[in-house]
Amino acid sequence: MTRHEASPYATVMDDGQLTGRPIVLAGAGPYGGDLEVPEPLVTGGKTWADVDRDICMHAERFPTTRWWIAFSIALAFLGVLVFSLITLFYAGMGIAGVNQPVGWGSFIINFVFWIGIGHAGTLISAVLFLFRQQWRTGINRAAEAMTLFAVACAGIFPIIHLGRAWFAYWLVPYPNARGPLWVNFNSPLAWDIFAISTYGLVSLAFWYVGLLPDLATVRDRATHPWRKALYNAMSFGWTGSHRAWRHYESAYMILAGLATPLVFSVHTIVSFDFATSVMPGWHTTIFPPYFVIGAIFSGFAMVITLMTFMRGYFGMKHYITLNHMEAMAKILLFTGMMVGFAYSTEFFMAWYSGSEWEGFIFKNRAFGPYWWAYAIMFTCNAIIPQVFWFKSMRRHTLVLFVVSILVNVGMWFERYVIVVTSLHRDFLPSSWGMYALTRWDYAILFGSFGLFFTLFLLFVRVLPVVAISEVKGVMDPKVARGTPTRAAAAAIQEA
Amino acid sequence: MMPTSTTGILGHFYEPADALAAAAKVRDAGWKHFDFLTPFPIHGMEAAMGQKKSWIPYVTAVLALCGILFAQGLQNYVMVWDWPMNFGGKPFAAWPAFIPITFEAMVFWAALGSAVIAIIAGKTDTIPQPPPMLVKTGATIDRFVLWISATDPKWNAAEAERFVRSLGADGVRLVDVKGGADA
Repeated sequence: MTRHEASPYATVMDDGQLTGRPIVLAGAGPYGGDLEVPEPLVTGGKTWADVDRDICMHAERFPTTRWWIAFSIALAFLGVLVFSLITLFYAGMGIAGVNQPVGWGSFIINFVFWIGIGHAGTLISAVLFLFRQQWRTGINRAAEAMTLFAVACAGIFPIIHLGRAWFAYWLVPYPNARGPLWVNFNSPLAWDIFAISTYGLVSLAFWYVGLLPDLATVRDRATHPWRKALYNAMSFGWTGSHRAWRHYESAYMILAGLATPLVFSVHTIVSFDFATSVMPGWHTTIFPPYFVIGAIFSGFAMVITLMTFMRGYFGMKHYITLNHMEAMAKILLFTGMMVGFAYSTEFFMAWYSGSEWEGFIFKNRAFGPYWWAYAIMFTCNAIIPQVFWFKSMRRHTLVLFVVSILVNVGMWFERYVIVVTSLHRDFLPSSWGMYALTRWDYAILFGSFGLFFTLFLLFVRVLPVVAISEVKGVMDPKVARGTPTRAAAAAIQEA
Repeated sequence: MMPTSTTGILGHFYEPADALAAAAKVRDAGWKHFDFLTPFPIHGMEAAMGQKKSWIPYVTAVLALCGILFAQGLQNYVMVWDWPMNFGGKPFAAWPAFIPITFEAMVFWAALGSAVIAIIAGKTDTIPQPPPMLVKTGATIDRFVLWISATDPKWNAAEAERFVRSLGADGVRLVDVKGGADA
């Protein structure tokens, strides 16, 4: 048997049969030795037509009760967000917890948190694409959608943090009647506007380009003429012509190549908001890589949370297999150690720099009045993911789910620690103070989850949640083809 | 807009490898106005169909340059010429501070422009396509559909049908919309 014939995806396996280890084909190697092939990415012996049905099904039928329950809860939280924002605009910033000396509070924490969540989607869709990681095909669509919704949530916070949100458009440099009064291009806050808006729009373009062939699939399955017309318009009349695929593939590769440095630049620029200031605890060169890796860490945790639901409630077990979950757990373990390493490096540098203020800030972070926030952060981010050294834990759905939630709790507290502990005790002891979230801070934080999950639940109702055309490309044609081969048909007839 | 042809021939295959082999034969037989409609891109199809590599990367390069020029132009115009402000005696043209926005603008122009132009190119840089109502051949599901348009200089209906059948295609179907689709 040649290597090509021993196709890695040819084997029909069920989800429960996956081991996460390669299949050994004895004597199948090129020189008579053993050949190891990975387990199939799609389980259950699915055909290409099955893929269409399984994935489009959720968008083609009336929502289930479970969906309505989940949607009602999400919508209730979204209502909380809307109500809190109206109250905030009506009453003013006084109802939020920010004050002297902690002028950056939960809004900045939430902004960094949500932008970080988004990063895993781009990492999965772009970086893993460039590295030819074919397992990404099962999860990239939902992960990219997660990116878009996380960026939408993140976008709210800098605007409300302005205090006078109705002047948010002043951040955009355009010829105006105020002078013209321009933004200061030397300021990282102005860079942020460009970074976040570019990130949001490029992620949208990348996601939409990936959707085109799948929208055409939905169109071709549709029976109602309006539905057909709508999806036809949305797919720009995609037919699957290879003369179109040629440009499509080229553009997709380019988008991946551009999104990769973009995703690193965005959180780097977010970290510049802190790093270019002269506050001890913020003014460090480690911040850009530290923020980027933390973003990927928290984003992957959110992907694991969402994929657990998709496997359980949307029956996507055959496309998002335990092997996918294990691969993500490995990334969580790796990035968790990177984050832990960054925490330790910060401490080392605080001591090694000999700076009195830097040293004080870090002692205060870990042992001061906010020691509990630091303890939650360190435990959840650096210690708990260590369970993923064990294969049985990486393949245990409940452990994955719980750890993914804890990691995101830890990552929220990481931003809390960074923002609050650096500000609450600065150079002048007479101006020290404490910070606490008010009920409106909490309402806006939990309300933003409502916005996120409302958008995500709507997404799973109207669009294919798995990248159909990409999944089809990694299936073995011998298993997935629509009509049995002539030989197989003859065998059936003989029997 | 996408050119369509009312007349041509369709035939389908079940596996990407068969489609690739067929495409090479169609190319070698000298057909020009043919296409493959497939549910996912097939690796090596460009060569099998005798196409050059996509020209999209050149578009990206030009757009990236436009983005760089736009961002540099805007920032230097604002910070040096239109409203110079003294920040602690630092130079007005503080080029290192202009790098992040220059980078973001480059990515913005290049990525969005390439995506839009690739979609337009898929519609225009092509051969006459089968009429829309005949596209529902399973090409977005599990069929790899060969289409040869009657606009091909080599076109001869009987010969084309014989040729497509000789490739081992299934469901070969001569299309003539004006005269009605032939089975």
